[in-house]
Amino acid sequence: MSELLQYVFIGLGNGAVYAMVGLGLVVIYRSTGLLNFAQGELAMFATFGVWTLHEAGLPIWLALLGGMAIGFAIGAIVHQVVVRPVGDPHQKPLAVVIVTIGLFLGFNALAQLIWGTNEKEFATLFGNSEVDVLGTLVDWQKLGALGILAAEALVFWVIFQKTKVGLGMRAVASNPESSALVGIPVTRILMIGWGLAVSVGAVAGAVWAPTPGLSSNLMQLPLIYGFAAITLGGFDSFVGAVVGGLFVGVLTDVVPRYVDAFEKMTLAPAFLVILVVLLVRPQGIFGRKVVSRV
Amino acid sequence: MSAAGRLRDTRSIIVVSGVLVVVVLALPQVLDAFWTRRITLWIPLALAALGLNLLTGYNGQISVGHGALYGVGAYSTALILNEWKWPQLAAIAASAVICFVAGVAVGLPALRIKGLYLALVTLAVATLFPQVLEQFSGTTGGSAGLAITNQEMNRRGVLADRAIRVEAPTWTGLADDQWAYYVFLAVAALCFLVVRNLVRSRVGRSMIAIRDNEVAAEVSGVNVAIVKVLTFGVSAALAGVGGAIFAILQARVSSGSFTLVASLYFLVAVVVGGSASIAGPAIGAVAIGLFQDVVTPALPESVTPWDLNAKAATPLILGTMLILLMLAAPGGIVGSARQLRARLAVRAQRPADGPIPTPTTGGTP
Amino acid sequence: MKRTPMRHGAATLAVALLALSACGRDADTKSTDTGDDGDTTSTESGGGFIDPAQDCSDYDGTAGITGDTIKIGTVRPASGPYAIYDTVTKGLEALVTATNSKGGVKAGDGKTYKLELVKGDDGYDPARTPAEVERLVDQEKVFAIVGEIGTSNNLAVRQTLNDKCIPSIGLATGSTEWGKAKEYPWFIGGLPSYATEAHHLMEWLKKEKPAAKIALLYQDDDFGKAYQASIETSIEGSDITVVAEESFNPLTETSPESKVAALSASGADVFFVGIGGSPCPAAVKAVPANWTPLTLVSVTCTGKLAMALAGGKDEGLVAVQATYDPGTAADQSNPKIKAFFDEGGAAGLSQGDLEGGIAAAGWGFGSMFVKGLELTDTVDRASLMNALWQLDGVNYGLMLDDAKASTKGGDDPWVIEDLRIVKRQAGSWNEIAPLTSYDGTSNDFAG
Repeated sequence: MSELLQYVFIGLGNGAVYAMVGLGLVVIYRSTGLLNFAQGELAMFATFGVWTLHEAGLPIWLALLGGMAIGFAIGAIVHQVVVRPVGDPHQKPLAVVIVTIGLFLGFNALAQLIWGTNEKEFATLFGNSEVDVLGTLVDWQKLGALGILAAEALVFWVIFQKTKVGLGMRAVASNPESSALVGIPVTRILMIGWGLAVSVGAVAGAVWAPTPGLSSNLMQLPLIYGFAAITLGGFDSFVGAVVGGLFVGVLTDVVPRYVDAFEKMTLAPAFLVILVVLLVRPQGIFGRKVVSRV
Repeated sequence: MSAAGRLRDTRSIIVVSGVLVVVVLALPQVLDAFWTRRITLWIPLALAALGLNLLTGYNGQISVGHGALYGVGAYSTALILNEWKWPQLAAIAASAVICFVAGVAVGLPALRIKGLYLALVTLAVATLFPQVLEQFSGTTGGSAGLAITNQEMNRRGVLADRAIRVEAPTWTGLADDQWAYYVFLAVAALCFLVVRNLVRSRVGRSMIAIRDNEVAAEVSGVNVAIVKVLTFGVSAALAGVGGAIFAILQARVSSGSFTLVASLYFLVAVVVGGSASIAGPAIGAVAIGLFQDVVTPALPESVTPWDLNAKAATPLILGTMLILLMLAAPGGIVGSARQLRARLAVRAQRPADGPIPTPTTGGTP
Repeated sequence: MKRTPMRHGAATLAVALLALSACGRDADTKSTDTGDDGDTTSTESGGGFIDPAQDCSDYDGTAGITGDTIKIGTVRPASGPYAIYDTVTKGLEALVTATNSKGGVKAGDGKTYKLELVKGDDGYDPARTPAEVERLVDQEKVFAIVGEIGTSNNLAVRQTLNDKCIPSIGLATGSTEWGKAKEYPWFIGGLPSYATEAHHLMEWLKKEKPAAKIALLYQDDDFGKAYQASIETSIEGSDITVVAEESFNPLTETSPESKVAALSASGADVFFVGIGGSPCPAAVKAVPANWTPLTLVSVTCTGKLAMALAGGKDEGLVAVQATYDPGTAADQSNPKIKAFFDEGGAAGLSQGDLEGGIAAAGWGFGSMFVKGLELTDTVDRASLMNALWQLDGVNYGLMLDDAKASTKGGDDPWVIEDLRIVKRQAGSWNEIAPLTSYDGTSNDFAG
């Protein structure tokens, strides 16, 4: 029992990171309507911002805030300079996908050029100590990650449900043209969406980086797990990203421990569940069904 | 466009294609063995892109899992050649069949799962494939890879495993590398021809109808399910032929070659060349080949005065080029060429705005 | 997103050990030692292990030598997820620069040669390695390939280079594949065999903990499986058992934590971490507070970088070494490391690279080539290989002072087989068991 509990906590800790990656993907999908392959690399880049500020002497939490600001700026600029000029993802989905692949390659190489290839030690936000939870030792870092995730989910909910920006974003997502006609500042809304996405990416990176060390490779695997999370939860659902991320985390860290067939195919259980869910509900568990018009 | 204009257009297409064919056939005569081997390796890339283009460009289903299907083709060929010693072309054909089945299997969920969700199912395939290879490393060789070998007498008279080669029959008078180029070019030409005829057939029109509006296609009597799954299968078979040729040329397969990155490169080849066109994937493959084999090695190790490591910047350069290309020509190279031609045609039709057509080319009535 | 960085990078550390070039010069003469096995010279076919007249079709023994300059080539990932290995090549490059600034290599033929290094970039994708190697060999006309990185990358060109009779020296991998010198005599590894490393740890364990219960975490590839197979073979007939075993695939799994948790519940008192790259320190860090095993780590996981990522849990780790560790204070006073710091620093290596362990590995690969040149009577490809195939207790690069490198063609194809056990104490690796020689036996542990 305590063993199972231990795996579950490890899964939740990792899952919190996948969920945060998923939140960033959902923000961008909701505002711009595309799957952002560069989400992980943008997050990694912003995490280097956190690291640089921390190295410069800022306490880690302040550095995190600074990194989030840097991330926000990067997201907004990338949208403005690169993504928007390509055009509407609904019209040119392939071109936009290729642009995100270009961003993926570019930011990864840029990070190596600036910060080198060696993994950097990254300070934990919650220290290295453990705490006894129901008879199982759990890192504070994991509980902290879950706390941050909860806070993020709350913030996103408030932004999207309670503020003008959020309202605007929902309008823009469902119909950019008429939103513009009724006076919603579409461009600014989209910039904010991209800024938020990279900002939350910086948090994901800062939570994750102490485990593998910070390098340009930091977010490549979490991105794949983040994609799995939102496929399960639904591309347009924040709740879905959170639940999906945690679920994928628990599944990959628990099932292979008990089912020999999955011992070396740790991702397989998560993908099987995703497949089944999608076959039953093609828009993900929490996703909204898109009505297609003829 | 007028009849004369169309005639002129057709004529120029024939001339251009003729020149292209001559150039493509002459390349191994002009290039040395090193460069012939390089361009031969662009052929499997073009085939994988051709398959992906059929699925994505013509049928509107995005796949980021074709690297895995390419890998299935490569491993099938490796195992067939190692275990049963079939002729190489037979192994390629068998791999196509195996990949067709694999493609249908991957495509089945597509009946229910659509658009970007489907793309992520294929992402799962791409991610799982290396894990599966490692799980069955006894057969696949795992990450160290699997050499494709024959038992041959070595120079010391000992029977030893030796990597397979593509050997030119003596009557051809060709070197091995030239022969390999021509043989696989012929295979590729056949595949391109098949795809060209397929997209112009009724099935092809159904594919495009589904891409443009699935509901409308269904209403007008297209069997959406069968067409989609079939497209997946054919697409996978083409990728499989590419993978098979790749395996034979390398005489070796290893999991590092069939990652998500490979899948993304195929997608890049499709879009850079121009999706939903026959020539697009080939042009895209050439573009990627040129970048990898010509541009990358030519980059300097360090650029003074900043001591910038230009080699490390290779992906940055590629990424920037992709973004710029999509900004300037979202339709890829073929799309831009079409646009250019349309613009020229429009100009030719409005002599007031454009150069005055000379009588010999017909002009516009 | 493929193989873990540092698997061989770490290996580089190991490599570093062997690197020694600068200092080996005085100590390596054949007369200085009377090693038990080094006295007979193999005379397989006509004087040397390799006979170009018999083995090669279009043999050109001196291609790549122009006047007094020898051109060598190497292939490594210069960009992308594995670009960290480029640091190995920086070490190799530093050795070339340092050698030239000292005037060059005085080869066995009495002449002094300068070296020129040409680099290829395969992005660590084995499918791209053949193109790069062909470019080096066919276009650049290099004399030899030195310190090429990656197991599957080297395997991808083994047949070709062997057919063309191009020396491939100081390969940056310890795969058991490099024990097949009988089939591929033009390939000589630059690291100890991964299998020998695990075997040495098991031999030491038999003395220290004869009833050890091992929890094994191994990388799910040829590198990790070499450890797994060697452990299995080596504990046969002893009271040591493997009580739990987990594999980790760095290409698809984000963290080894849940596997470490599973191992911690096995009741094992020894934890063998047979993985490389950043997942290795991550695994060390993941050991829960209520499990206190003796932890053995791969030599690829002993560098200063890796240790910094272990979250302060590096104290007490045990590993194998064959070279001095430039990141350890005790070793930094050794003349070899001092020379590496002076000459490598002058050649452009940063302090971080000098101490990190990865560049030291490349320095070692280059040193093996230089040592070969010094020992060969005639400077041509086959003579160079034959000189390296009959090493007689030499010491080069950053190899431990008492270690000896001996080879005998296909019968003893491993150069680095003298290993010691070190323990991590207060940020340094300290020797806890003296050098043991496995000369001529490395192929026995491959399982």
